[in-house]
Amino acid sequence: MKQKMNQIKKNGIGQFLVTLLPFAALVVLFGLFVGVVSMKGYRLDMYLQIVFNEGVVLAVVATGAIFIYTLGTFDISLGAATLFAATMGVLAYNATENMGLMILAIFASGIICSLLNSVLASVFHIPAFVTTVAMMSVLTAVASQIITTKGGALGGISIPSVVVKDMDEPAFKIVLLAVFFLACFFIFNLTKAGRRQKFIGGNPVCAELTGIQFNKYTILAFTIAGIGVGLGAFLTLIYTPSVTTTTASSVGMNIFIAIVFGGMPISGGARSKIYASLVGGFSFMLLNDILDLVIDSSAAYGITQLISAVFFLAVVYVTSMNYRTQMLPR
Amino acid sequence: MKKRLTKILSLLVVGAMTAATFVGCGSTGKEADGGSSDGAKIGVLVADVSGEEAQGFRNYYEKYIAENYDVEFTYTDALESAEDEKAAIEKFASQGCDAIISLSSSDRAQQIETCEKYGVYYAIASGVLDSEQYETYKGYEHFVGQVGPSNETEFEAGKEMGEYFKKQGTKSVAIYGAFIPNPMHVYRAAGVLVGLGCTYGGASDMDAIVGQIFADQGITLSKVAGDTQVVAYLQGYGDTTTDELNAAIQKNPEAFISVGMATTFFTQTLNEAGIQFSDIDSFTEANGAAIKDGKLVYLAGKYSSSIGPVFALVMNAINGNVIRDEDGNAVSVSQGYLVATDADSFDSFYLSDKGTNPIFSKDVLDTVIGDDVTFADVKALIESK
Repeated sequence: MKQKMNQIKKNGIGQFLVTLLPFAALVVLFGLFVGVVSMKGYRLDMYLQIVFNEGVVLAVVATGAIFIYTLGTFDISLGAATLFAATMGVLAYNATENMGLMILAIFASGIICSLLNSVLASVFHIPAFVTTVAMMSVLTAVASQIITTKGGALGGISIPSVVVKDMDEPAFKIVLLAVFFLACFFIFNLTKAGRRQKFIGGNPVCAELTGIQFNKYTILAFTIAGIGVGLGAFLTLIYTPSVTTTTASSVGMNIFIAIVFGGMPISGGARSKIYASLVGGFSFMLLNDILDLVIDSSAAYGITQLISAVFFLAVVYVTSMNYRTQMLPR
Repeated sequence: MKKRLTKILSLLVVGAMTAATFVGCGSTGKEADGGSSDGAKIGVLVADVSGEEAQGFRNYYEKYIAENYDVEFTYTDALESAEDEKAAIEKFASQGCDAIISLSSSDRAQQIETCEKYGVYYAIASGVLDSEQYETYKGYEHFVGQVGPSNETEFEAGKEMGEYFKKQGTKSVAIYGAFIPNPMHVYRAAGVLVGLGCTYGGASDMDAIVGQIFADQGITLSKVAGDTQVVAYLQGYGDTTTDELNAAIQKNPEAFISVGMATTFFTQTLNEAGIQFSDIDSFTEANGAAIKDGKLVYLAGKYSSSIGPVFALVMNAINGNVIRDEDGNAVSVSQGYLVATDADSFDSFYLSDKGTNPIFSKDVLDTVIGDDVTFADVKALIESK
């Protein structure tokens, strides 16, 4: 009995340490980044701003996506939805020259795209990975059609940069990120909805047997992800007020990497963590920038991706070390 | 416990391997960046890192210009979007770059505005702004200028290529549209159709055809009509178009006309199939082999040192002589293509632009780098080559 208690205690400490790992990794990466930038004599203030700008869109969209991943499913179309929402925003502004309508169009597009996925997944019971792959193709094609038709020789569509210039400040973006994150934190950790989503992700059969409506929470998860997409598209336009066919092209896959870097299990469930998107998103960006700084781009193409992949596998390995216990998650 | 120890040890091994990779790739013998000298620092924005033309340009800057001038070039990885371009410019600015030369075109307007914001000189070395954009930005303090083929020049290059095959009596062709809707490739493709004596959607003038290709995001074969039959059309990266290329070959076209990068992707396959082909690229060793021993019969190209004048403009600006045109605006000079149709004509361009003796050599560039150099000097030099 005593031996069993010791084992439980040991597992608990192990889990706690593994929980701390993403934070430790973020701190280490940040320290390395500051060291490398300083050593090279570059301007640290500017570099920090660059990392923030690179990471903020990913962090926002990934924060919304956490709700979907918690259910044990995923949405690969979020990058395409961000492109589509930004495209709609530019069209709305150019048609009306009204900032409010532009923002409305962006958020409405993001939420509608996401809801369409959830309806297909929950009402028609089509696996989410199938619907989101299809949606990714459709949204990219529609956005590309609009961009190339309207953009012509310019290769993209845009709003006047003066419209969003004042908002392209770290303080404004930090406020947006903080408000969205705190709202998501509240829903995820302090409401019945958040707890039930974790339950569904952990064991959908048990959740259904206890009377939890799968469809209701799926729609809620996709709606929050849609808001994240809208906010991400808005932040993208603030940074570069033009939309090309490649806008936000890397977001979809990077969300997945960020969430894993943040220490959240891919399978969702009780161990899902809302902070994984923030911690993982910025860790991933710091890692990429460190590699860019350290490795000469002419040394070998793709070497940064190779090293990122090794880190990714290592992180998955570390986080999974702790799952295969005989205990249920606590 | 033992199992966990093994896992941790495995992780340490992975970490060590990664660290070793860092060490192995971190240096190429020469200081890659970080300001090893007091010379000029120029950042180069690139979207294509593997094409023949891109590699030729890079070799010229890194292996010739950097050896002959007190300048250091820092290249980006392949930039995929406007966000990537802006972040790259910000990184160059924070690294203390004096100027940025752009070979990437996702959002040139944003590039100019970002450079202006950070007080970094900016020049375009591949393609040009459209006329409306140029009017907007020509007075920007840090916009040095643009030297490259205009959209009209791209159209003409495609048209001449199409006319070449029409004059040869070619009755059926396959067309490779490269990376349409990239504007450069759209204009070239429109030119090819006109040169072949074809209409597109009933239109025969540049603007109407270009507009339709942008809308269609490619060439729709059912809209092509005219003297020459276009039996197949494909576009996209070489490794994603293998099936389409094979399908095109099955239709037995007399020629395969490419508006860019066919020599990078398809040379071997087309040589084996015995189909003569053409391309708009640059005068490089691989393209030389394709025209001498393969089936490449027409190459409209730039020579690798054609980006020399842009470097001269940028160096002048860094040294305090920001050259302006007659109206006081940023320099804008269109560069045409040279055409090789056999080994001799290819060699006349390639050998004269090779390695240590490029067409825009140090001796030539020195005539347009200096405190007294004017727009007329630069323009005259570009137009003479």
